[in-house]
Amino acid sequence: MTTRMTDAGPQTPMMSLSWVSLAVVVVIGIFSLLFLWLGFQSFGGENPDQGNLYIVVGTAGLAAIGYMFFRTKAISSQKPPVEKAEVVTILECPSCDLKRVRDFQRGDYVYKSDESCTRCEGTMTITGIHRKAEPKKKR
Amino acid sequence: MYLQVGQLLQNQSDIGMILQTLFSLSFIIYLFYAQRIQAMSMLRAVEGTLRKVKEIRDKGRSVSIEAVKEASEGDYDPTPDVERFLEHFFISPTSLDPAGIVGKMGQLLNVRENTFEAEVRAMAPKASDSEVNNLENLLEASLALNIYYKVIRHFYLLGKKTMNIYVIMQIHMILPMIVREIEAYSRALQAFRDGTPIGDSVGPLVAARLMHGHEWSDVAKEMVAAEVPYNGRTLIVTKAKGPGGSVGKPGDAIENILNSRKGRKKVDAVIMIDAAGKLEGEPAGGIAEGVGAAIGGIGVEKYKIEEAVKEHDIPMYAIAIKQDITHVVAPMVEELYTACDTAVETVKRMIDEKTKEGDTILVAGIGNTVGVGQ
Ligand SMILES: [Zn+2]
Repeated sequence: MTTRMTDAGPQTPMMSLSWVSLAVVVVIGIFSLLFLWLGFQSFGGENPDQGNLYIVVGTAGLAAIGYMFFRTKAISSQKPPVEKAEVVTILECPSCDLKRVRDFQRGDYVYKSDESCTRCEGTMTITGIHRKAEPKKKR
Repeated sequence: MYLQVGQLLQNQSDIGMILQTLFSLSFIIYLFYAQRIQAMSMLRAVEGTLRKVKEIRDKGRSVSIEAVKEASEGDYDPTPDVERFLEHFFISPTSLDPAGIVGKMGQLLNVRENTFEAEVRAMAPKASDSEVNNLENLLEASLALNIYYKVIRHFYLLGKKTMNIYVIMQIHMILPMIVREIEAYSRALQAFRDGTPIGDSVGPLVAARLMHGHEWSDVAKEMVAAEVPYNGRTLIVTKAKGPGGSVGKPGDAIENILNSRKGRKKVDAVIMIDAAGKLEGEPAGGIAEGVGAAIGGIGVEKYKIEEAVKEHDIPMYAIAIKQDITHVVAPMVEELYTACDTAVETVKRMIDEKTKEGDTILVAGIGNTVGVGQ
């Protein structure tokens, strides 16, 4: 996660969970833990009813934090604006069957033939242009 | 130490009471303001998308301006002209009285096309025909991005102004789909600037594979066709004229070809190849066979094809090459590229199965032929 965020650089306006929200999370977390602890204390003590209440409140606080984290993750994992696709050109020589793959150049199109063959006298024909297979993205 | 803290709080149950009240209060607040909180969080998501879309829109505009400038003469600054272009709109004819609406639509689309072409030619006099076509497509992609941006901004500002959850919800609900479309268009910028084949070019690429090496001629505006012998049959293969970005007028081409064969042996079957939207879970590059006119768009060309085929009473078959919305206008991915060779085999098998020797078959590769010659 962290590497992704730095990679995206200025393109992470979605990281609006700022330090304010973080402080809120921390405060709620401390209170929730305190309430849980109090709840367990009261169970052992003379006041089990109040213990129930404490535990409910504490769990609710923790659930709220969990929800907040879940949301932030969903927002920040949005992909950065689309990066450039790498395109390759496939050339074939009809006279000597040489097949060559190179990076796409502007002006290339399928069935253009004005590039001389590197092996024989013939001219090569572009038979294909497609995007390079992208490495599988990690989820 | 820790016992002391516990005792402190336990003994003074007042503090406990206060905290309980606080929590109850927050619960009650949430009871009344839940919708507002939800609206605010949705609005925040829309805002994030809006920022991203603005970035892509601005990129589209700068790419377009740069590309036009490259093809223009002297120190002409195309910025105002491109900006004017990006605000261009199209008013569909009324459907209150739908009779004849296809003709009206077709006529308006022709006017739109001619206007665009004339504007691009005026902006970029140095550009060749294919470059003009590519520039036209590039500007149209930028125009689409501009409209997406403006619509999202409209709903965002309206939602912010009214804080009405239903206004905000309308845009929030379709946001994931819109983002995919916008990302697709942002890839289209690269494809049309450089002139690389896109996902939609699978139809013309299959046609080009069949007709390459045979003499071709123009059959309609930006449409070419070639007669190709195959297995004792004659194929008439047609596609948009490449390598500039164009979808041509396949309706006119098919109509003209069918009509021009009066007196000669009539066409026995029509096979159309087109890109088709895949459902989530289906592989990109999957090939499906069916019946009917495989062509997208507003429906003008589809109408013409169906009319012509009905008039001549010819069976019409379709081959769909499945792809995702994110593939359609982006540079062609390898799966789709290899699918074209499979599709060529499928066409041949279909011809062998459905026609007999001596028959004439019209094969039409439908789609944008950017980066595909013939
Ligand atoms: Zn060679």
